[in-house]
Amino acid sequence: MKKQKFNFTILMVVFMFLAVSAVFTTTAFAEEPTVIKIGNISPLSGPAGPWGQAPMPGYDAFIAAMNKEGVVVNGKKYVFKLISVDDQNSPEGGARAAKRLIYEEKVKFILGHWSWNFPSVAAVTNPAKVILMTRTGNEAVPGGAYTPKKMPYTVFGTPSHERFISSIFALVKAYPDYSKVGISDSTLGKGIGWDYVDRELAKAGIRFHHEWYPPGTQDFTPYITRFKEAGCDIVFGGGDVMAAMLILKQRWEMGYKDWKIGTAGAMLDPKMYIGVSGMEASQGFISQYDANWNFKKTIVNPKYVKMCQTVQKMASDAIGKPYNYTGWIEWVPAHLQILVQAMQKANTVDDTAAIMKAIRGGTFDTVSGKYTMSGKKTYGAAVVFGNPGVMSQIKGDKEVYFSESPWTPIP
Amino acid sequence: MPPAGIWIDGLAQSCTYMTMAFGMVLVFSILGILNWAHGQFYMLGSILLYYAITAAGIPFPAGLLLAGLGMALLGIIVKVVIIDRVEGELYVGAATLALIFFFEGLASLLFGMQDRGLSMVLPGVLEMGGLSVSYQKVAVIVFTLVVMVVMYYVLHFTRMGKAIRAVSQNPDAASLYGISVERLSLVVMGIGCALAAMAGGIMAPVYPVNPFIGRAPMIMALLAIVIGGLGSLSGAIVGGLILGFLHSVIAYYLSYLAEVVLFVLVIIILLVKPQGLFGASIK
Repeated sequence: MKKQKFNFTILMVVFMFLAVSAVFTTTAFAEEPTVIKIGNISPLSGPAGPWGQAPMPGYDAFIAAMNKEGVVVNGKKYVFKLISVDDQNSPEGGARAAKRLIYEEKVKFILGHWSWNFPSVAAVTNPAKVILMTRTGNEAVPGGAYTPKKMPYTVFGTPSHERFISSIFALVKAYPDYSKVGISDSTLGKGIGWDYVDRELAKAGIRFHHEWYPPGTQDFTPYITRFKEAGCDIVFGGGDVMAAMLILKQRWEMGYKDWKIGTAGAMLDPKMYIGVSGMEASQGFISQYDANWNFKKTIVNPKYVKMCQTVQKMASDAIGKPYNYTGWIEWVPAHLQILVQAMQKANTVDDTAAIMKAIRGGTFDTVSGKYTMSGKKTYGAAVVFGNPGVMSQIKGDKEVYFSESPWTPIP
Repeated sequence: MPPAGIWIDGLAQSCTYMTMAFGMVLVFSILGILNWAHGQFYMLGSILLYYAITAAGIPFPAGLLLAGLGMALLGIIVKVVIIDRVEGELYVGAATLALIFFFEGLASLLFGMQDRGLSMVLPGVLEMGGLSVSYQKVAVIVFTLVVMVVMYYVLHFTRMGKAIRAVSQNPDAASLYGISVERLSLVVMGIGCALAAMAGGIMAPVYPVNPFIGRAPMIMALLAIVIGGLGSLSGAIVGGLILGFLHSVIAYYLSYLAEVVLFVLVIIILLVKPQGLFGASIK
């Protein structure tokens, strides 16, 4: 009798163990999230390499932070895997990278693209029905390479030109007694996108003078002299940081020490600007700023603000030194949030046509504030509107908040 | 008439082109090849100087000499290990072209791709009435003058200099007089690379330092050589001077069209004087 009771107890224990294991195993399998591959095409080598590499720790940490909870689409849980490929900032490199991501890695989404090779990348992504999120450039305005019919899977997820306009507004708000804003950019960027910027600035009554220089220019003495003769006392660049650092240094050496100098794009490390241009000359240097925890006018979802601060710490831990670069925020993270919310609206992670339908004209809550996509209202393109237009400047050897002019309207 | 600042800027630009072009022509006149990686010796010189100052705390002038000596040694190694072992001018040219990417890649790995600077070297500006010129630019002009005087002395008043000139004019006759063309070519390769490295070093406080800074000065040096005449040392100096001034003055008047106009002018010079302004022999 005792033996029988003992056997029964063992049987019960074994049964319960098996039952519990089965439940846990089933649950584990049921909750095992599906991985969605996200492609990223950036310059990771060559002269533009530092700009492609700078956001990578932020991207990786952001994806890791998102994957902690995962996202749910149509009742299923998903996590993301970011695959970054070097395009060397060249058209052939861009096409090669797109082909590798699409045909070898089987990605359906390419996010965070900002290189000067949009047409060659889009030529590969659109026929493959792969969603490409890039920035506005000469292509995204009427008459540009972009046509909605030919490129239905292209999204202009970062409003670079609109952000440039916002930056000029923020500058003149900060310096209302300015004489004239000098705008400098390399001839690489010359085109109808800049005509659009000039039109918007003129419409807003901004006094400005545009100067173009050949790519790779290091001696800006002739251009600074031309700015001086045009009556400029602010010079703001189109994103060529080396040019901006040299203008910063050379204008100071030429005696125009009170000029305000800045450029589009986020600030890398203030110490780089100080190293190249000198401590005194670098003071007050202005850049675009993405640290959403310091925004004063733009409203960003507090959940995302906290998330970005956590990501910044995670990235610092990963690289073993303080990670102060914040330019990562407006690219892959903002694009990924647009994509995820569109997937949730469309109830699919596979049907890129349905996701694009959800993107066009939709409003999305992102790490950079609320973005509204233009849909058919403007260029027929999915162009994002609503960006913070926040600026920072160098004080001592630190980057600090400077000015802000959020751009909200849909033209 | 452009303001005085443009002329001084042109002079500073000329100085870099002159030093670079001089080194290239010197190598060409003895080895008979254009070292396409000459700009990368400029870049490596500036990087070596950067480390000499920031990591080792070596004073700027000593760092400049160190950069020159280091790159002279590297140039000699390149000559012995690569140039001497590759046959045919075309293939030697291709080998030095490959070195551009090798050195840039190596520098990217070791130095990183981010811009760095030596703005703390010779800071401040020289005020002359209404004109401000940085001490860094003054240093470039003074350095180039010193280099040119030293090179003139070496080439005209030393046995080695006379040997270089003799070999450049007639290598066979020079070797009959007991000059070792082989040994001399090593020395010339070293001097040429040292000049490029020191040009890069003297410009390091003026412009950012990164693995890709050698490309533009190399192209401009080549243009200076074409204007002055391939193989002519005095042509390299005059070509560099013309180019630097033209570049600044045209950019002042025509902004970004400067380079287009500059290249058209070079084509016109070549159409009128196909050998360049100073012919094709060392003078």
